[in-house]
Amino acid sequence: MNWHHYFILACMGVCLAFCIYHVIRLIRLGKPSDYSPPAGVVTEAVVYSFTGAMNPAKKESAFLHLPTYSAGILYHLGTFLSLLLLLLFLSGMILPIEIRYPLMFALLASVISGTGILIKRFIKKGLRNLSSPDDFMANILVTIFQVMTILMLIRGEMFPGYCILTGVLMLYFPLGKLKHAIYFFAARYHLGYFFGWRGVWPPKQT
Amino acid sequence: MEKLSEIQIRQGLSVFTNLTDNKLLTHLNSCVHCGLCAESCLYFLKTRDDRFTPAHKADIVSSVYRRYNTVTGRLFPKLVNAREMNMDTASEMVDLLFGACTMCGRCTMHCSIGVDIGFLVKTGRSMLSNMGLVPATLQSTIKAALESGNNMSIPVDELTSTLQWMEEELTDEVNNPEARIPVNEPGKNILYTLNPREPKFFPLSISAMAKIFFAARESWTLSTRMYDVTNYAYFTGNPGESKLIAARLWQEMDTLKAGKLVLAECGHGSRALRWESPNYMKAHFPFKVETSVETIARYLHQGRIRLDPEKIRKTVTLHDPCNLVRNGGIINEQRYILKRFIASFVEMTPNGADNFCCGGGGGQLAMSEYNDRRMKIAEIKADQIRKTGARIVVTPCHNCVDQLTQINVTYKLGIQVKTLAEIVADALILE
Repeated sequence: MNWHHYFILACMGVCLAFCIYHVIRLIRLGKPSDYSPPAGVVTEAVVYSFTGAMNPAKKESAFLHLPTYSAGILYHLGTFLSLLLLLLFLSGMILPIEIRYPLMFALLASVISGTGILIKRFIKKGLRNLSSPDDFMANILVTIFQVMTILMLIRGEMFPGYCILTGVLMLYFPLGKLKHAIYFFAARYHLGYFFGWRGVWPPKQT
Repeated sequence: MEKLSEIQIRQGLSVFTNLTDNKLLTHLNSCVHCGLCAESCLYFLKTRDDRFTPAHKADIVSSVYRRYNTVTGRLFPKLVNAREMNMDTASEMVDLLFGACTMCGRCTMHCSIGVDIGFLVKTGRSMLSNMGLVPATLQSTIKAALESGNNMSIPVDELTSTLQWMEEELTDEVNNPEARIPVNEPGKNILYTLNPREPKFFPLSISAMAKIFFAARESWTLSTRMYDVTNYAYFTGNPGESKLIAARLWQEMDTLKAGKLVLAECGHGSRALRWESPNYMKAHFPFKVETSVETIARYLHQGRIRLDPEKIRKTVTLHDPCNLVRNGGIINEQRYILKRFIASFVEMTPNGADNFCCGGGGGQLAMSEYNDRRMKIAEIKADQIRKTGARIVVTPCHNCVDQLTQINVTYKLGIQVKTLAEIVADALILE
């Protein structure tokens, strides 16, 4: 193992420790205890919250903004793919060329999506006013991570640079909005719990 | 500009530290500032003012949280837009959270992440309440409820004479001396509540519900001591005041030994009682509770009342009160009732849990300083109604009735606005 291996592993460790801290804090606080009698089935609503309620046709934020929504989905898929490839790179596994090309194209689509979202954040006044430097930083770091993953798929000798930039992303992860990766699941759970308890979700036949 | 005292700031920030569960922590950390929630909000849709996007309203609360409760916010506040709690921030919070949000929760349902923006707005209102910065108009309504027992400070003798008058009207209408409006009678099946707007401005809605109870041969009573279904402290997120107001109906149920509390047509009142009051009291209901919408639907289902389908010939549409429907799960009952006797029933688009607020929710009707804004955003509801071609708009909420009545005048819709009990009473077949 070289220094860049140790560096990235240390950064991943720090990131993981912070993530565990956030998760433990959530678990320790626990879910709200509701004394009102429920009007629905919470479990079904929580499942619906993660499935049917995520259907773009059900959400105005999706169907009124399909290009942005689709770009967001692609970008997130690209991030998950890059994280998976990070583990593969660290394990020393070398992917065959016929797999690398489709992955590169998939990641390229993700990078284009992420860059598009970033440009939109810059040029749309309303979105710019809503944004903090953290919003730009998070987008830039993740996009760089994906670009570096593509470069790694092309040239394995980029590994030290890849490790440094990915390490920076890992260290930044718990500090800002990127930690929504943890809280997203809790938010969807709470949404399902709330609307399920009150008998709103899953939607009733009218 | 006046400065906030240290005590005020500490009390405002206490909402972030007195956590009893992980819900607030979750929603404070979840927004990604995508801004895709904008079009779900009446205020943004009608004004195109970026400050009114739901994400912006949620963020002003989260930004204060970040400043005092996160490492990044303490060390690098500008990086994460972490804001000091000072008079500038507090003034902006008052304007956005009280003056530009009806807490309808439509943005929550459509948020791409699932952030409960309505909950964050309510948290922000709690902070302002703790700091003594609730708009005076809204706070005076709460004060009236706390001091007099009802939010309009109606004296008991005034209420009693209104009820006697309505009882005479009812007796004449049904031509039966047994038709009564019982008052303070113990041991009845139902204790029925009122929105103080009813005795004050719309007494006929009391006799409408009394007529339904009479037709259903129900054993029921009103209380002159405690009847107010509303709870305006819900809108300020003040748990102490909310509890005091809610506790009185719990107490009255115990005093009168009634079997079931039936909540009058009031969206936020139903929400505050049915869903929130057990949490204020930290206790399960020791009695049964249902909304009057459920009561009427039950009577119809059980065949205890019958409705004349020939009676209402005009086209009718339905406005869904946000607190009763999206936040209360009463979605099908009112449709079940109306479809049983309305020949021409037309839904608004969107409707049900996806409805648009009338613009009067969240305490807006009590805050006259935001009247112009309230009536501007109401144009969305006016357009919805116009598109249905309906001549009668039914809504099971007196707050919505008030707002829809003002919309009718402002936007010249030429409609009648009725509560569900009123339109049902009009079509009742009496044996």
